[in-house]
Amino acid sequence: MNPKPAVLLIEDEENIRSFISTTIKNHGYKIISASSGIEGLHLCASLCPDVVLLDLGLPDIDGIEVIKRIREWSPVPIIVISARTHEQEKAKALDFGADDYITKPFGTVELMARIRTSLRHGKQIGGTAMQSQPPYHHKELTIDYDKHLVTLSGEMIHLTQIEYKLLTLLSQSSGKVLTYSFIMEKIWGPYVDNNNQILRVNMANIRRKIEKNPATPEHVFTEIGIGYRMAECE
Amino acid sequence: MKNCFITLFFFGIATLIAFWFFHNVPENPANIALVYITALVLVARFTTGYFFGIIGSLIGVVCVNFLFTYPYFALNFSLTNYPVTFLFMLIISITISAMTTQIKTQGKVLLEREKLLMEAEKEKMRANLLRSISHDLRTPLTGIIGNTSAYIDNKDKLSDEEKLDIVTHINEDSNWLLNMVENLLSVTRIDERSMKIAKSEESVEEVVAEAFSRLQKRLPHAQISVKVPEDFLMIPMDAMLIEQVIINLLENAVVHANSKKPIEFTVTENANQVTFQVKDYGIGIAPERLSTIFDGTPYTSEQVSDMHKGIGIGLSICKTIIVAHSGTIHATNHENGCIFTFTLPKEGK
Repeated sequence: MNPKPAVLLIEDEENIRSFISTTIKNHGYKIISASSGIEGLHLCASLCPDVVLLDLGLPDIDGIEVIKRIREWSPVPIIVISARTHEQEKAKALDFGADDYITKPFGTVELMARIRTSLRHGKQIGGTAMQSQPPYHHKELTIDYDKHLVTLSGEMIHLTQIEYKLLTLLSQSSGKVLTYSFIMEKIWGPYVDNNNQILRVNMANIRRKIEKNPATPEHVFTEIGIGYRMAECE
Repeated sequence: MKNCFITLFFFGIATLIAFWFFHNVPENPANIALVYITALVLVARFTTGYFFGIIGSLIGVVCVNFLFTYPYFALNFSLTNYPVTFLFMLIISITISAMTTQIKTQGKVLLEREKLLMEAEKEKMRANLLRSISHDLRTPLTGIIGNTSAYIDNKDKLSDEEKLDIVTHINEDSNWLLNMVENLLSVTRIDERSMKIAKSEESVEEVVAEAFSRLQKRLPHAQISVKVPEDFLMIPMDAMLIEQVIINLLENAVVHANSKKPIEFTVTENANQVTFQVKDYGIGIAPERLSTIFDGTPYTSEQVSDMHKGIGIGLSICKTIIVAHSGTIHATNHENGCIFTFTLPKEGK
């Protein structure tokens, strides 16, 4: 393992900053913290962290602006920290290039899981191009990308073309939330209209095929008003 | 302007009818006078103030004189009973106008009184809500303050186990507070004046699933079985708010009902609406509270003690949210517990 991964935390509330710093340090990461957007941008440029944790409500510049400026030159994973009720703000942040978000208030377990997921995906981007991907496993569900095969407890699941594409897209970014607009564009192309009903219907069909009870899903989770997240590959 | 039109309209009609009588039943001229009197009564009734009534009686007299008494199409004020006719018509019109005006004022007064009553009702609801909020917020805050000061005062004497216990309690209380604040925040999504919300088509099973998973994060040991319709279902709603309602009802059932079997949460649909039902197998609700349970009424003093951290606000917020969705919500008891049911219409208004 390389030296400790570095996490840059941009957050103006001192109490929250100290609690996140403590947590992250205790899990063996290096932590750099900034209390304003400008400071965060400087630190990001000079220290090249492996993950950025960004609070959207900053005193000096808008959090969305921070995302845009970082994205001008760096693909570093950005996790947005935001309040629950602002689902539009979150979706906007994701569409502007943030990788994931975490809702205030959050537990340490959730925070560390998000950071690990982001680090893993960050490596994939820099790593080799996907030739043959290892299969996705979660509980009884397996997706074998080479054979185009989805199985549940060993039994083959019959999916339509679109459903398979959707499931592949979600599972390749497992653990990460994908916004409606991102999924729509990836599956139906850039000229699809804004109505995401077709996506919801397809997701409902997938749910009926891979979940025991569509109301208590185990594999694909809905983030209302934002998009979908697939359980992390085991 | 409107009054002018009404006057002309009624007298026009009256003149037409009068002409008909004049040509077909010429032997009884009293009819013509009666027709004009009727027109006068109607004018006095449907115009505001006395002015048009008086004008009307003038018109009536002139018309009868001009059109229907010899010499025709000429005014002849020398006829004997003429001033008497005019006087009687005047009396009729003034009486009717006075009555009309009175009725109208009374109507206005009634409307105003109703408005005042509504305002008072709203004010009362707000006061009730504030009272139960303050009560509900004080309970966990007291716990947090008590626990933290116990820790600060005795930090050298406490064992690790005791310390953990204290912090666990603080954690529980603050989670509860957060839940409360989220409830209150959700209400701010409803426009206060029009009680309207921003609705969009949402998938019922996704909303149910998210509500369920959020509740499970907070209460991992909750035993709940969830059932949604086999068919994919989308209805107009504010998903955040409906999620809040589901969480409140489920949490209520988990925390307060002492259910002996898993709580059942079922969603069913019919042609017009979708029904959400939370059924528990617990202690049930006192019958006298059933009708007021959603009103956020403050508890009487002896109820406070056994009502662990009130369920008042949560339920009154549920009601506010469902009413804003043009749905219904109610609670009933069954043999072994109680059922909370709410419905949402399929077609948004």
